[in-house]
Amino acid sequence: MSKRNLLALYGNFEEAELVVKELRAASISGFNAGDDMVVKSPIEHPEVEEFLGDKPVYVQWFTLVGAVMGGLLGFFLISGGQANFYMQLKGGKPIVPFPPNFILTYEMFILGGVFITILGFLVCAGLPAKRSSLYSRKVSEDNIAILVEVEEAAVSAIRAIFVKHKALEIQEEAGK
Amino acid sequence: MSVSNLLENWSQFRHTHPVDDKPHDPYKWAMSIDLDACTGCNACSIACYAENNIPVVGKERFQHGQQMHWMRIERYWDEDGREFADQGAQFLPMMCQQCEAAPCETVCPVAATNHTADGLNSQVYNRCVGSRYCSANCPFKVRYFNWYDYPTDDAVWPAEMSQQLNPDVTVRSKGVMEKCTFCVQRLTAAKSVAKSEGRIVREGEVQTACQQSCPTGAISFGNLVNPESRVHKQWQAQQVEIDKDKQTKDEKEEGSELRGYRIFEDMRPYPSVMYLERVRESAV
Amino acid sequence: MKDIREDIAWVKINQDVMKSLENPRKLYWVILFCAICAFGVGVSCEIYQYRTGMGVANLNNPQVWGLYIATFIFWIGMSHSGTLLSAILHLMHADWRKPIYRFAEAMTTFSLMTAGLFVLVHIGRLWQFYYSLPYPNERGIWPNFQSPLLWDAMAIFTYLSSSILFLFVGMIPDLAIARDNMADGWRRKLYTLLALGWEGTDRQWRNFRVTYLTIACFLIPLAVSVHSIVASDFAMSQAPGWHVTSFPPYFVAGALYSGCAAIITLFIILRYTFRFEEYMTKSILKKIVRLTFAIAMVWTYLNAVEFAAVWYSHDEASKAVLIQKATGTYAPFWWGMIFCGSVVPLVFAFERFQTNIPVLFATSLLLNLGMWLERWMIIAPTFSHGLYPWTWDHDQWPSMVQWGMVFGSFGWFTLLFMIFCKVFPSVSMYEVKEMVYHRTLHLKKSEAAEQGAH
Repeated sequence: MSKRNLLALYGNFEEAELVVKELRAASISGFNAGDDMVVKSPIEHPEVEEFLGDKPVYVQWFTLVGAVMGGLLGFFLISGGQANFYMQLKGGKPIVPFPPNFILTYEMFILGGVFITILGFLVCAGLPAKRSSLYSRKVSEDNIAILVEVEEAAVSAIRAIFVKHKALEIQEEAGK
Repeated sequence: MSVSNLLENWSQFRHTHPVDDKPHDPYKWAMSIDLDACTGCNACSIACYAENNIPVVGKERFQHGQQMHWMRIERYWDEDGREFADQGAQFLPMMCQQCEAAPCETVCPVAATNHTADGLNSQVYNRCVGSRYCSANCPFKVRYFNWYDYPTDDAVWPAEMSQQLNPDVTVRSKGVMEKCTFCVQRLTAAKSVAKSEGRIVREGEVQTACQQSCPTGAISFGNLVNPESRVHKQWQAQQVEIDKDKQTKDEKEEGSELRGYRIFEDMRPYPSVMYLERVRESAV
Repeated sequence: MKDIREDIAWVKINQDVMKSLENPRKLYWVILFCAICAFGVGVSCEIYQYRTGMGVANLNNPQVWGLYIATFIFWIGMSHSGTLLSAILHLMHADWRKPIYRFAEAMTTFSLMTAGLFVLVHIGRLWQFYYSLPYPNERGIWPNFQSPLLWDAMAIFTYLSSSILFLFVGMIPDLAIARDNMADGWRRKLYTLLALGWEGTDRQWRNFRVTYLTIACFLIPLAVSVHSIVASDFAMSQAPGWHVTSFPPYFVAGALYSGCAAIITLFIILRYTFRFEEYMTKSILKKIVRLTFAIAMVWTYLNAVEFAAVWYSHDEASKAVLIQKATGTYAPFWWGMIFCGSVVPLVFAFERFQTNIPVLFATSLLLNLGMWLERWMIIAPTFSHGLYPWTWDHDQWPSMVQWGMVFGSFGWFTLLFMIFCKVFPSVSMYEVKEMVYHRTLHLKKSEAAEQGAH
């Protein structure tokens, strides 16, 4: 059965929250409130997370791996480089001296952490991506949008809920 | 590759310097300069210029402090109310001290200056990027920077003078640091001859340019680990040990009558040049 | 005092900030023109020096570094307040940072780029600078990892790339706004590309928040390490006046100080040029001024500690350098540094000056001058009066080539900064909205609480 995408715009967060709650409460066949609903907002909203329910964030695992790998890579690259370089003493210090290597390891630890965190962000947030065609520039101003993906049969029920809460605008298109 | 290399040769990589138990072998080039014999005639400096292709920068650049004398004669005056101040003149020939733990080596970002197996402080011109950190950290300030491109400067090296250059020594282009090498070109040649004859370099077989030209023989140079060498004997007689930052003879309460000392010994660069203090009139 | 209005329409925030990308005041073009001219001077000096040799900078044997390294530290120092505002204050939930942190971060990025230029113009063989990069090569030669200069290179690379990423990530939602509001043209294409298809979905925001927080946490120790490593360039050496244990914290305090002073200067310039009076309010300015005052006093204290430590030590050489600073050739500049760095900020202690824009502008420039002098006074006196008396040289004066490049660096920085502010939103739109939103919520809550009490 083919799917359809629906996008409704609301002027304030309270309204949007009510809509989401109602959508979650209503058991409409062909619509799963947990997976098929996306809320788009102009600012970061702790409330959105509250009413959408807890969704895990995995970025910090990338951070951990990146930082540890960065540090290890730093230390072994540097020590290995020093050991492979001509066996020449400098300033009476050991060929593999610890204090400088720790400083560089520390920098590499941060470098790895930052770079892989960014990578993790892109992966977890699904960026860069093509914008979905159901998008309103109002979202980047002050509106909050609710995007749902439903079976064709459920469209009218959803639409009714949107209208009931005085959606400012409703867009609809055929889903994939 | 590198981790196994690290583990296998770990103790070698953690070896510090200078230490008693593992001195340079078979060569450790060192010098001793008798200030009592030095007359401040500058012959050593001129010999050094000739031997090492050092650019003569000219009056104007000299006034800017950009001179390149690897070997310089420093003059100090005793201002103790003499009739003629010149009588109180003292001279100190100063060149790279070829420190065992050289402060310049650790700070070079590109590792252009290193401690060699025969105890020299090497300067790799090709590697130098000219950050001048070595000079900033050298307590003796004996490193000289090529502020201009001297080899192409007609005022420094007129075309016909190129025949005068020493072919064994490279000319340095602009932007690199240079300094006294203990005439490393002579050392290398001597070592090579000795090696082909299956022996080590004999005492007196190799001389530095400054030593060779010193009319009073104030400079002696040689292999410190060779017990036959004059340098070794002098260092031993003066009880100066290369790996000490405070000599045992100075720890005695009454001090020492011996004249040998090294400059900035307490800063622990462990210089390879020992000076023999001038015998003062007051001490006579 | 007027602060950002709670009832400001969000659409208006977008419009106001987007306007700054279109039509700034005439002054903008004047500044841009001056910056290009100044940069031109710097470039010509570098071309001359590159072709002729470092000697034209009038450096010599003891004085090997001169203004290049002094100004290098100055620019590195400037970069630190961007991190202070964006990362530390972010962790502390200080919402007043929101309208101003974007330009502070841009300042961080561009002053690091300027500092990088000084490393390059200072080295004798610029064409071989890549020798100091740790890249694998057939010869098996690596740079010397023991050298504080290499730590510097590494720390600055980490800091620069991390701050660019931090700036960029924090700007993605705003780039999306710019994309949605910009008329067709190359800029719209640019924003579309850089916004990465941001739509503000809950998934994006969730990951965004964690990422931003994480990088902020990384940036704080990074910023501290960067300037302590710069301090190590000196503290790790044996030169008198440099071999000081308190140098790393002293440098970090100095960095925050000069950065804050620069933020005040740029705040005032941006506020006027881009008509940001509504967002860069005087109440925010007052908070930065108070922060700067506190840091100025910390700096003064650390300065005093350094002098006292040298004075009480038996290190004759360091003492001689200190005396030489206070009484020798450099005395006017050294006392100028004390005056500009420790006396001038006392102006900030008076409430009526804390929002007086002309006074603040003049004062902040003096503070920057003082901080530049500080860096010069770290470099020059030690070289002129080092350990080895025979090489003392009190009279070597930097040539016009050096001064020209210092001048040019200000042009280069201003140029980059001004172009950034014209091309990218220099006030964070989404965060101003957040700030407004949270303040409204707070107001509502307190009203409700009041009603409940009756």
